[in-house]
Amino acid sequence: MTERRPRVAEVGRDPPAAGGPPPNDTIAPSGAEGGTPSSRAAPKVRGPQSPRRLARPFGRAVLVAALALSAVVPFALLALWSVSRQWFYPALLPPELTGESWRAVVGGGAALSRAAVASLVLAALTGALGCALALPVGRALDRLGGWRRHLGAAAAFLPVAAPPVAVGTGLQFFLLTLGLGGTALGVLLAHLVPAVGYLSLYFLGVFSAFDARVEEEARTLGATPLQVLRAVTAPMLRRQIAEAFALGFLISWAQVALTLLVGGGAVRTLPLEVFAYVRSGQDRFAATGALLLAVPPLVALAAVRLAARRTEVVPA
Amino acid sequence: MVSAAEVAAMPWDSVVGRARGTSVTWLMWRGDPSINAYVDGWVAPRLRREYGVTLTAVDAQGAQILNQLVVEREAGRVPGTASLLWINGETFANLRKERLLAGPWSGRLPNAAFVDSASPIIARDFEQDPAGYESPWGAVQFALIYDSARTPAPPRTFAELRDWIRAHPGRFTHDQQFAGVTFLKALMYAEGGGVARFQGGFDSTRYAEGSARVWAWLDATRPYFWRQGKAYPQGVAELHRLFANGEVDFTMSNNQNEVVTKVRQGIFPPTARALLLRDGTIANAHFLGIPFNAPNPAGAMVVANFLLSPEAQLEKQKPDVWADGTVLALPRLPPEWRSRFEHLEQDPRQLPRDSLAKYARPEVAPEYHERIQADWRARVREGGT
Amino acid sequence: MTVGAGARRGGATRGALAAALVVAAPVALGVAYSTAGALGLAGAGAQGFTTERVARVLGERAVWAGVAWTAWVAAAATALAVAAAVLVAVAFRGAGRMDRVARALAVVPLPIPHIVAAATGVLILGQSGLLSRLGAALGLVHAPQDMPALVYDQWGLGLILSLAWKELPFLALVAMSLLATRGAALEEAAQTLGASRWATLARVTWPVLWRGLLPAAIAVFTFAFGSYEAAALLAPSHPLALPLLTLERYTDTDLARRGDAHVLTLLGLAAGAALVALHEWARARWEEP
Repeated sequence: MTERRPRVAEVGRDPPAAGGPPPNDTIAPSGAEGGTPSSRAAPKVRGPQSPRRLARPFGRAVLVAALALSAVVPFALLALWSVSRQWFYPALLPPELTGESWRAVVGGGAALSRAAVASLVLAALTGALGCALALPVGRALDRLGGWRRHLGAAAAFLPVAAPPVAVGTGLQFFLLTLGLGGTALGVLLAHLVPAVGYLSLYFLGVFSAFDARVEEEARTLGATPLQVLRAVTAPMLRRQIAEAFALGFLISWAQVALTLLVGGGAVRTLPLEVFAYVRSGQDRFAATGALLLAVPPLVALAAVRLAARRTEVVPA
Repeated sequence: MVSAAEVAAMPWDSVVGRARGTSVTWLMWRGDPSINAYVDGWVAPRLRREYGVTLTAVDAQGAQILNQLVVEREAGRVPGTASLLWINGETFANLRKERLLAGPWSGRLPNAAFVDSASPIIARDFEQDPAGYESPWGAVQFALIYDSARTPAPPRTFAELRDWIRAHPGRFTHDQQFAGVTFLKALMYAEGGGVARFQGGFDSTRYAEGSARVWAWLDATRPYFWRQGKAYPQGVAELHRLFANGEVDFTMSNNQNEVVTKVRQGIFPPTARALLLRDGTIANAHFLGIPFNAPNPAGAMVVANFLLSPEAQLEKQKPDVWADGTVLALPRLPPEWRSRFEHLEQDPRQLPRDSLAKYARPEVAPEYHERIQADWRARVREGGT
Repeated sequence: MTVGAGARRGGATRGALAAALVVAAPVALGVAYSTAGALGLAGAGAQGFTTERVARVLGERAVWAGVAWTAWVAAAATALAVAAAVLVAVAFRGAGRMDRVARALAVVPLPIPHIVAAATGVLILGQSGLLSRLGAALGLVHAPQDMPALVYDQWGLGLILSLAWKELPFLALVAMSLLATRGAALEEAAQTLGASRWATLARVTWPVLWRGLLPAAIAVFTFAFGSYEAAALLAPSHPLALPLLTLERYTDTDLARRGDAHVLTLLGLAAGAALVALHEWARARWEEP
């Protein structure tokens, strides 16, 4: 009776929350969002749509307005706060403006710009190394079945799910004994702990939807596993690897607790600086830092969505 | 690795020579932009120019410094990461007790000759003898801060404060960290019959009596605190934000001149003023220490000596820089420096020196600080719901 | 299949499990260290084996109040985010312009680091924040204290809102994907059988949604439970959220109390492990065969 939708090999989905829950591919395999038929190789079937609007048009308009406000107001506010001076209650607009915090960013040597560079480097390395480590792990996990598969998935999820403060206290001790406490390398290793876990789960999902026959054919033709990986698998999964890199990047980019505990205050990343500025009442610098922290991921998200749209099959 | 005591025994020229071309990591509180600007923008370039020392400040205060050194020692980290520490009071006491400080060394600094060692505020750190394990850096006095536009007639004693709080519910609170605990200590002196009763080491009976009065005062006043005394800002910076935005009418600071720098930065409204309670406010000094596993004790000593120099102390005291009191004895300085200190520009918001001296009370043993903080947490913060 | 696949598979199984355990190893090491610390065998202030510390910490009211409060905030934030995500996914599942715009807007908070959400929360939801100032401008409130407390408040409302804002996009994406795949087919079948709009929604759409969203919701709860930076900026001083309490004890000047942090760390790790097991069970139960 029910028409089973064919599983789609291509996962065309936007990167889920950074440092947050895993994508759960095994329950939402084709991940294409909503009614947009973009990047769907399956036959286009229209779900219950236009005539079945459940909310009245007015309700929908209100919802859209609410969504728009919640998406825009935070950034507008941060932008305004980053240039305000003496902006106290109950003023709706700042009485004085100052470019002090932005000048400090552009004028090199400022804490914010140094922290931004440190964050960029750490996040890029986390994304790249995380991908490289997690892809084979994810694929290996996919070969498991039954309870072993669940155990493997749970083991991979554990470093992501455990509270960062709890994980960080143990990591701090071990990294200190290795002489990596307070070093960038130590912080990188700490960031890789949740990143590899998260990405392993992601690749598990990818490979569970992956058609391995091409790989097997390459093997029968005599290629070694490494050659297969490099020449066959990786090119087929280019998009997923890019997504995984972005996910790993975001996990590191947003980290606070792990960096705080393992870096010992010596490794200053951008989120750490924003945290310190808010805590010390320097709202101007906190707002500037927060914008620096938020804008690159947003730009990346927009780029990904635009790219996805460009590969769209003819729309409904 | 050469220990700090060995370095201290060397002639000063060789210490400076050893420090040249090296870097020093300094664990200090980074929560105040004026202090950060002074250290990063004035001290660090001069150190690099004159001594070839690269100074890196790392954010850590009190308990975090203790924690880092403890964990480093547990993990066998020698040498560690930091060479210089900004400490005082109970942090110093705990570091000494755990033998995490190197020394003695501070008496060997050339600029130590200028220090006002006769002043009880500077010669003793919470009643403890620095004994060469820490070098004095600055001296401050606790003050309340209010907005003269909102509160034209502020209370002048703890009794008046209690009445004021009851008459203005929800407009007063204190923070959970150093400034708030200092407030409680000052309250303990006032309600407990004066600071003299608590001097001469820690006495648990006296503490019990004194703290009982504090809890009594708080129990009578807390329901009229901000948020009915059920929530307290984590640190003094959050309290400042509440004050500036008009959520409360008072904030506080361990530095009586913080109001000057914050108004200049636009963080406080221009009508903010400092207030000394006539019951007495606590004056203390803050210091610099060298950890047991310092990788660069020579560099740390050069930095500490520079920070103790008349030049650096004068700059630090300027109202548009940090307005932190000096630890130098003016009579011991060369005449031209002495006159520069005396003619230093005073901001009109600064409190007059004789009032400060009149109401200054010294710190007592660090156990009072720790006990009152721990008991406040258990009794007030956690018992209060 | 090629010859030797069976033997290869056996080795692959062992290798795979080993790989997974390596990924989880840092947490396992952390558990070992914290257990040793909790029992007084390791860590600063360790004075030899004792179960006294564990008993004392687990008997403290503040600890359980903190755990309960953290769980409350995580649950409320997850519930709010799920409700909003379902609403958005169901209301905007079409292909029209408004649907696309709404979906794009809903996804905006997705890559934003949580510290940004929390910092903005302080600026907007504080009693002297943006909302309060708007209220003052409209004459609804006259002083900061007239505004309901959303920051440092006993119920953690500001923290809940901030967490929900951040987690909405992820849940909305999952919900939208569910509706487009499993949901669509079933709904169409129901429609062809003559079910009304509301009956379809209640009997077909909602069951598909909640089953599919459950693993994601558990994951969101897990993340909210362990969140540090948001709680540090928005949570009250009592009950103190578990991550904050852990860090406070960890950096206590009284070294004896520092051991308490190990017990609290174990509590946090145990909660994480339990939630992981729950998550995996939910996936196994309702994952598409």
